[in-house]
Amino acid sequence: MTFFEVVTRSLKRRPVRTGLTLLGISIGIAAVVALIGLSRGLVTSWSSGMKSRGTDIVVSNMRGSLTPKPFPASTRDRISHVSGVSGTCTILVEFTSIENAELMIVSGREWGCFAWENLKIVSGRLPKDQNEHVAVLGTSAADILKKKVGDTVQLETEELPVVGIVNGGAFVENGSLILSLPLLQQITGNQNQISAIDVRVTPGSDIQRLCTEINRLLPEGRADTAGEHVATGEGYRVINAMSWGTSMLAVLVGVLGVTNTMLMSVFERNQEIAVLLALGWRRGRIVRMILLESALLGFFGGVVGVLLGVAGVQLLKMAPAVRGMLEPYLGINLMIEAVIIAMCVGVLSGLYPAWRSSRVAPSVALHG
Amino acid sequence: MAQLNPDLTAAKETGSAPVFEAAGLKKEFDNGQVQALRGADFKIADGEFVAIVGPSGSGKSTLLQMLGILDRPSAGTLKYRGQSLLDLPDPAAYRAHEIGFVFQAFHLLPTFTAIENVQIPMFEDHKSRLERQTRALELLKSVGLEQRVNHFPAKLSGGERQRVAIARSLANSPSVLLADEPTGNLDSVSTEQVLDLLSTLHRDRRMTLILITHDMTVAARASRVLQMMDGRIVFDGDPAKLSAPKPT
Repeated sequence: MTFFEVVTRSLKRRPVRTGLTLLGISIGIAAVVALIGLSRGLVTSWSSGMKSRGTDIVVSNMRGSLTPKPFPASTRDRISHVSGVSGTCTILVEFTSIENAELMIVSGREWGCFAWENLKIVSGRLPKDQNEHVAVLGTSAADILKKKVGDTVQLETEELPVVGIVNGGAFVENGSLILSLPLLQQITGNQNQISAIDVRVTPGSDIQRLCTEINRLLPEGRADTAGEHVATGEGYRVINAMSWGTSMLAVLVGVLGVTNTMLMSVFERNQEIAVLLALGWRRGRIVRMILLESALLGFFGGVVGVLLGVAGVQLLKMAPAVRGMLEPYLGINLMIEAVIIAMCVGVLSGLYPAWRSSRVAPSVALHG
Repeated sequence: MAQLNPDLTAAKETGSAPVFEAAGLKKEFDNGQVQALRGADFKIADGEFVAIVGPSGSGKSTLLQMLGILDRPSAGTLKYRGQSLLDLPDPAAYRAHEIGFVFQAFHLLPTFTAIENVQIPMFEDHKSRLERQTRALELLKSVGLEQRVNHFPAKLSGGERQRVAIARSLANSPSVLLADEPTGNLDSVSTEQVLDLLSTLHRDRRMTLILITHDMTVAARASRVLQMMDGRIVFDGDPAKLSAPKPT
């Protein structure tokens, strides 16, 4: 028998109570995995979408909101000549409900720019020119809307024929309805307005230096590398903070649950602890035993929580608000973080009960 | 094994000092309203078998707990092999290696088997897992429970539980056994078995055995009796010369 077995035996003594406590922690950890997974998924989904389009720098006005605010398309002329910029693509992005989809990305792209190049035709074709009143759908968007080539899609007051289904190579691209920039500007009443300029740089250029240069030329906008574009936005920061805040509330409930369980366990075992002291166990070993018990509760709660969180995220992915818009991030880093948080919860929750256990007076407890 | 004090080891080897030496030992509770010990003086030599008798509330258990440093006196001195127990730097090491406790209620841990219960004190002795297991098995064999090693306490009789508790008390080879009414919860047959076992341990291992009992037939097995009354030792001598106490 090892010390570890002594600890696990204590946890097995009251399986229902241990199980319920585990469930309490795991719900908190599941919230961490689900909410943080979704908020990080926002960044990774948009970053991968930009990478798929071949975008190195994004110029937008994201301050104070998650979605970019429209600005004049002519702004592009102020940066297209900058040394190191090999190409630009003006884009207007709208988030709107389309038919049975509560929220969908609608992407209007400057005709002929590099943002069209990544679209691989699955069926049908691309628009013939920028004036053709047609749209193409990403594969996921087509699934969500249940459309195929030849059907029409209702965008605001316009009914647009679907001429192609495309694979954009990224979750966000595949979840989008894509059409030419002038057509979207006309439909949404945003004539000559865009929401972003995708910039492609010449190989070997210093991207950070280019961002600095563009920011100097466009003080009203902001240039970020494609990977940082969403993550540095204030809107994303708010979402991230809310995700952590909500998760931590759930984790706090877990902390209280474990503390309660461990305190009950210590009170129940006062006499046993006194016996252990009489048999020569140091108070430090008793404290370690209680802390290890609560840390183990945290660890297993974390593992179960990760599994619940992953399952929950799969359900959330199907929710109309996020379906096709973002791929939740469920990387190993997040799982490890969640389990570490759970173990910290366990140790933190065990501190007071462990301290109480170290205060047991053996002479009193043995007579109790 | 943790070392208490080099002088203690020397005293143990030469037997130069009494195992226990108490002078003016007092214990008060509730700000002096309850006086459990009112000035106990005694010496116990190495290898003695001492029975402490007396009615409930006379201070027997309080005295035993002080010998095990489970409680501390309010006044007086208490020495173990010449060293003050009140100044021991590591009381846990003293309890782990110098003394063994046997309780009336056995106090076996219910979720551990007999062999696991015997291993519990060995965690402070830095034995390997195999050493702990081997030692526990030897001890259970020595108390005649080799057939019950994997039984949980709930599946053992009272006498068997107390024998497991005795095996546990011997885990780290202590030189002193402190037994608080070890036969108090046993039938007459089990009482005889447990007393025989304790007597054998005292004789064969030359252990100092200090045993609390209400039962004068149990006390009669000791070489010396301390009779307590109202927190004082009122008799110290040969059990045969002790008059039977009034029933409590």
